[in-house]
Amino acid sequence: MAGERHRRHCGGGDVDRRRDPAVGVKTLVRKPPADERRLDVLGRMPRLRRVVMSRSFQPVSMLLLLAPFALAIVAGLLGTSAGNRNFGIVFVWIVWWAVLMVLMVPGFGRIWCTICPIPAPGEWIQRRGIIGGGGKLRTLGLRWPRRLRNMWIQNVGFLILALFSMIILTRPTVSAGVILGLAGVAVSMSLLFENRVFCKYVCPIGGFIGLYSMAAPIELRVRDTQVCVDHRSKDCITGNERGYGCPWMVYPGKLDRNLDCGFCTECLKTCTMDNVVINLRRPGADLAKPGGGKQIDEAYKALIMLACSIIYPAVLFGPWATVRGWASVESLWGWAIYATAFLSATLLFVPGVFWLTVFAAQRRSATGVTIRQAYREYAHSLIPLGLAAWMAFSVGFALTNGSYALAAVSDPLGWGWNLFGTSETGWTPYLSGTAPAIQAAILVGGLLFSIRTTLRVGFRHDPSGTTATRAAVPVVAFLLASTLALLWLYLG
Amino acid sequence: MTNGRGNRTAIVTLIAILVGIPLTIVGYQYGLRPVFADHRIIDITARVPENGGFQPDLVRMEVGETVTLRFAADDVVHGIAIGPGLGVDIGQVDPGHVGEITLTVDSPGIYTYYCNTWCSPSHWRMRGVLEVVDPDAASPLSSPPDPIIEALVAAGIDIDADPQTVDGIVPDRARGQASVGSVEVPAELLEPDWRLQHTPEGGLGLLRAANRDTPDDLLIDVVAYLWSNTVPTEQAVELFAKNCAACHGERGGGDGPVAESTIDPPVAFAEAAWLRRGDIWYAKIRRGGMGTDMPNFGTLFTVEETRSLVDYLWFLSFAGP
Amino acid sequence: MQTSKRPVIARRSVLLLLVLAALLVPVPAFHAPQTHRISIDASQFEYSPGRLTVNRGDTLQVTLTASDVVHGFFLDGYEIDARVEPGISQQFTVSADRSGKFNYRCSVSCGPLHPFMIGELVVGPNEPLWRASAIAVIAAAAMLIGAGTRRSA
Repeated sequence: MAGERHRRHCGGGDVDRRRDPAVGVKTLVRKPPADERRLDVLGRMPRLRRVVMSRSFQPVSMLLLLAPFALAIVAGLLGTSAGNRNFGIVFVWIVWWAVLMVLMVPGFGRIWCTICPIPAPGEWIQRRGIIGGGGKLRTLGLRWPRRLRNMWIQNVGFLILALFSMIILTRPTVSAGVILGLAGVAVSMSLLFENRVFCKYVCPIGGFIGLYSMAAPIELRVRDTQVCVDHRSKDCITGNERGYGCPWMVYPGKLDRNLDCGFCTECLKTCTMDNVVINLRRPGADLAKPGGGKQIDEAYKALIMLACSIIYPAVLFGPWATVRGWASVESLWGWAIYATAFLSATLLFVPGVFWLTVFAAQRRSATGVTIRQAYREYAHSLIPLGLAAWMAFSVGFALTNGSYALAAVSDPLGWGWNLFGTSETGWTPYLSGTAPAIQAAILVGGLLFSIRTTLRVGFRHDPSGTTATRAAVPVVAFLLASTLALLWLYLG
Repeated sequence: MTNGRGNRTAIVTLIAILVGIPLTIVGYQYGLRPVFADHRIIDITARVPENGGFQPDLVRMEVGETVTLRFAADDVVHGIAIGPGLGVDIGQVDPGHVGEITLTVDSPGIYTYYCNTWCSPSHWRMRGVLEVVDPDAASPLSSPPDPIIEALVAAGIDIDADPQTVDGIVPDRARGQASVGSVEVPAELLEPDWRLQHTPEGGLGLLRAANRDTPDDLLIDVVAYLWSNTVPTEQAVELFAKNCAACHGERGGGDGPVAESTIDPPVAFAEAAWLRRGDIWYAKIRRGGMGTDMPNFGTLFTVEETRSLVDYLWFLSFAGP
Repeated sequence: MQTSKRPVIARRSVLLLLVLAALLVPVPAFHAPQTHRISIDASQFEYSPGRLTVNRGDTLQVTLTASDVVHGFFLDGYEIDARVEPGISQQFTVSADRSGKFNYRCSVSCGPLHPFMIGELVVGPNEPLWRASAIAVIAAAAMLIGAGTRRSA
């Protein structure tokens, strides 16, 4: 199967892999190509395997994280309105966000979804148990509408949060309200629908984590798809005494992209054939895969996230205080201008320019791929750069404001406590002189990763390769222009 | 799939988190902490006046009672001081921090806790009343009358008249200091209380009468020196920087950063100095300027502090060219 | 099938040289050092001016004022920190000896948008920007050329 998929990528049997740009510069004649190599992580680390296979792994992780989130909500509602001294803001928007965007998503994909406490109460109510539930699910068991089985709600939800982000990031009560609101929606959806419908189709954070998890070097897959085909009882779908049927409504046997998998590790437990593995792999192995539906939602997710990764540093960190005022809803008119510009940029302008880019790419190549499909697939090449841009953004924000965390743990509500003796720690930006260089390196790295993805899409569309590079030129130009804009924002 | 014992432990943990965290926080702050303290702790939130100022803005305590006042800045930096005469200045409290003072007051009276760092266009309204009562005393609290202001009122002097300004007189107080020995100085001019009740122009009249042959500009310099020869106390300089400079400017030029937002332009002391009596400066500081944004500082400063401020104003007025 | 290794090595050497050049070629300063007297006013939530441009080697004599509440001034990279309250100005000197963009940001919490109260000091020639941009362009071109030549070999 692995070999078969590889042939599909390269479009033919006997290909000299030296020429395959997807393989990179290294010539690998005997070993399998880098994209196909896998390392079974849990196989190598039996102790970790015991932890992950344990029934209590996910619920205990959620419970542990529920504590700081509960504190964040209490601090947000009752504590000081000075955000940088309130645990609710410092923990969520400085610590959690930085760990999520700089470590978790790029390094481990969906790992946050494994331990996220937001849907936990809903799930526990629905399952009638925390460690492991039993019996009939406590839910109305409604079916999620077919036309919503995509990322559109997540796209819209993210845009709504993004439009108010200046308020959410800086007002502890609003921030607490947003977390409570998300948890409330998650609980209500658990009562209405089976499984993690909230996480999969609604959660605005889960949406982009899923998108960017495709660039991660970690994946959950089956070892051998034929085993799944032959396995009659399909415990991974139905569930058994060791775990739930996939709460994310995925059949692991056909799973080939991190986007669809919530990394909840239930199938690892339920699989009676020991066929589910967590692999270390080449980063981004899911990108530019032909599979999936034909919807444009995923492409839009990538475009919205890239556009936001450019707008955010400009609005939040740029020298344009007027725009910042608009974004923070100082006046309704100002905010209306900002909202119009923001939505136009994310929903029309950037997607429009990218459409022209893909149109140009298609004009320069001779493939039978429709422009709609090309658009959707080339949009994957925005994912590494978008992730890099978010990493650069988050690195800068975390280095600048990370020191607030020391005071916030000692005095979470800004009430003059000093639990660990650190509440008088002053604000110190870390690495303030080198942060731009770090950001530039991340951005250039993201650009290269993105170009590699572009070339992979091009070569898959045109296996002979005669026009693939020509076709890639406009997309690469788009990526380069985005990178230069980001470099200018951070360094110029 | 059921997991009885594990589930029960988990549910206990869940309840501990969801109920325990808020309960511990609120219980400690509002229950245990006051109960275990050996004296009264009063938490006061400090916000800009537009958002409520000090909450609470009235604190009652008894003479000799020990009380801890905890001022929690909630929005911007506030400076916390308590006057008059208590000598309490906690300093600036940054947002999310708490500045606290434990104090015992021995003399009954009405004191004011106030913000002394410019924090908003209504900054001067950010005040709270600290009532120190003597349970044994029969008479209610009342402020003693201010003799200087009473005298002004009795003399029918309009404290709130706009200060007249004189352009073009820029005395050189250094030259005045050098020449003061070479002219005949009438005794009244050496009396601080006489100077307080007279304008420099009035002083110049006396000086002219005593020194008919001395050039006028030299006499002007001498008057400027006499009116400003009290070395400003550190306390006066600090009081001015914290309470006056935002409007009147660091050097008293009427050009502070918020000068443009006041109803009337803040007085530039040098411009108004020549025709102004010290006791009117004094009254203005203590009573405030009616119809202007000049607040009253009589409930914040002692008489001595106010007089030292007036001296400092003269010093700024005649700082020299 | 038989791509000789030589062109690959040659190509890589050229690429390496270009990247090294982009990283290391010194950018001469064209301007004689100047001293700038600069007044910066801090208010919620902006600095005025919000962007300063000077040349490497210049000296900045900064007078910092605050016009509404207490603010701070922290200059990235130069690690200068000042605190200023309305009515009392602060003076300090910056020797602009490092090129690039350095944000100055409020270091005293001044309200909700405090973390985003940011201005920019650009010390030209902005070497970090040009070097990073050059590397991005070189790398993009190299990947395209690399992919093209390997296919058409």
